[in-house]
Amino acid sequence: MTGRCQGASRMPGVSSSAARPSIRPSARAGFIPEGTRDVLPPEWSQREALRARLRTCFSAWGYRGVEVPALEFASADHPQDALAFKLIDSGGEVLSLRSEFTTAVGRLVRSRFPQGPFPLRLQYGGRLWLRAMTSELGRLREFNQMGVELIGVQTAQSDAELLHLAAAALETAGVQAQLEVGYPGFVDAVLEDAGLSGEARAAVHDAIDRKSGPDVDLLAAQHGLSDTVRGTLHAVTDLYGGPEVLDAAQALAPGLRAQEAVAHMRRVAALYGGPLLFDLGVSRRYGYYTGLTFRAYSAGLNQPVLGGGRYDLHGGLPGAGFAVGLERLMQALAPVLPPEPEVVLALDLASARAARAQGLHAELAWTDDAAQLRAFSAARGIRRWVSDSPSGPSFTDLNSAQVTP
Amino acid sequence: MTPAPVRSPDHLTLALPKGRILEDAIALLSQAGLPLSMPEKSRALRHEFPGVTILELRNQDVPTYVDLGVADAGIVGKDVLTESGRTVYEPVDLRFAACRLSLIREVGATGEITRVGTKYPRAARAYLHSRCITAETVKLSGNIELACLTGLADAVVDLVQTGGTLSANNLQEIEVLFHSTARLIVNRAALKVRAARLRPLIENLRALTAP
Repeated sequence: MTGRCQGASRMPGVSSSAARPSIRPSARAGFIPEGTRDVLPPEWSQREALRARLRTCFSAWGYRGVEVPALEFASADHPQDALAFKLIDSGGEVLSLRSEFTTAVGRLVRSRFPQGPFPLRLQYGGRLWLRAMTSELGRLREFNQMGVELIGVQTAQSDAELLHLAAAALETAGVQAQLEVGYPGFVDAVLEDAGLSGEARAAVHDAIDRKSGPDVDLLAAQHGLSDTVRGTLHAVTDLYGGPEVLDAAQALAPGLRAQEAVAHMRRVAALYGGPLLFDLGVSRRYGYYTGLTFRAYSAGLNQPVLGGGRYDLHGGLPGAGFAVGLERLMQALAPVLPPEPEVVLALDLASARAARAQGLHAELAWTDDAAQLRAFSAARGIRRWVSDSPSGPSFTDLNSAQVTP
Repeated sequence: MTPAPVRSPDHLTLALPKGRILEDAIALLSQAGLPLSMPEKSRALRHEFPGVTILELRNQDVPTYVDLGVADAGIVGKDVLTESGRTVYEPVDLRFAACRLSLIREVGATGEITRVGTKYPRAARAYLHSRCITAETVKLSGNIELACLTGLADAVVDLVQTGGTLSANNLQEIEVLFHSTARLIVNRAALKVRAARLRPLIENLRALTAP
């Protein structure tokens, strides 16, 4: 919102829109805030069908559903605090709109399941809000996620379970995707072994996460890193691809932490068994993720459709999980509508009930005016009427009825 | 708009800035093995080659197209990339279109800096912050030097290529914020999904531009 916009709308006595070229959209009827959207019937059905399939998939793996409030107490410790929408409560307390599920589910686990039993498997779904400056293609400010958390255990088996479940969820959704595994702690171990700390380490993390060889060179010069270290850092930016990456990583980083990270990835990959991509140069949010991270790429969509990883809840309880973005997933899906029952127009309650019993959807006639009903049926795409008769529901095909009046 | 033709799964879409950098970029990408040639002078903004589509864009738009995945990769100056704030992969320094982003003042100016004119407000603010200078930035679009000479600003942050414009206008470079050259940038998902095409391209470009 620019100052000019606000000033214009406060100008007294100016009401015609012609005189207010920079009128605020909120002042105009029918507008919704940027980055939000309406979902209309055909897409709504598709989304609900997708949601139902994912929920069923998660449930079948033992993940029980929970709901958490969309209103939260704002906290500077929250990972998305800077991007969350803020509201002022009646008592003056600052609330934020839910901007991420893992933190909210973590809070729920600490207060509602302090004793587990662990491992605790939970699933969630709902809306999130992020206050970005502008919304963009596939980056709404109000969006939907569904996901799972596997809490209280920290084993290669539990990491592999999440990969299996992610693959199952994508298959259920009908999305062709490739899973990629990373380990931000590997990058951190390499940087630690290279003697980097503080701001320098953070800067190199950032350069490696952007696979920026040029920035690695610049930072190496600024911080006086040896050519050997510089070469290692360059090699880390190239550690992506198939399983051969793990061999390269093992040969590249002899330090104990790095070797353990690679060994853990090997165990998880073996337990998973299926095809995996690897990227050991991923170091985004390296201070947050404590182990494996993963995401899924769908061919033809240059944005990940799923993402997750291992973290520690406040209080040290280990957790891991992933979320799928519903809007992204819808983009990756062919726009095929689930088969829907035919909609008929019922002229009375009894025939409507009978039609529904046959698995049809029945809308009720609201008037006796046949011309109105016919016009509505044409506009709504209804092809048959149903009415009650002594022998049961009787269907009239509108097309043939019009041909023979 | 003509609809995009049906493409094979490993088709590459590249975002390139129009103007002089386009010629250098196409020459370099051809050397790296892509079947490209300089498009005929026309109003077309999308150029089709076997297995590759070139999008001809304003340079500020290249990071946007690549970050949002409309283009798989692109070529853009580090100055524009830094200013965009986009997190894309930037694996190769292509070592052409060299310039530097500098703080510039009128020759002899010694007063406090309170207002800075620039095309690069993000970089300018970061620089001022790092130097503990409290000054406002004014976003301008061109001929930035005039801001200094007319009193709109006490200093400007702008690109310097040879320094010729500066001396002709009685201006001097106070400090270099950073040096910039053209970079290959790659969408984060595209690098993985189209690795079979993008990895060899990266390798070839590295080999061609090695110092």
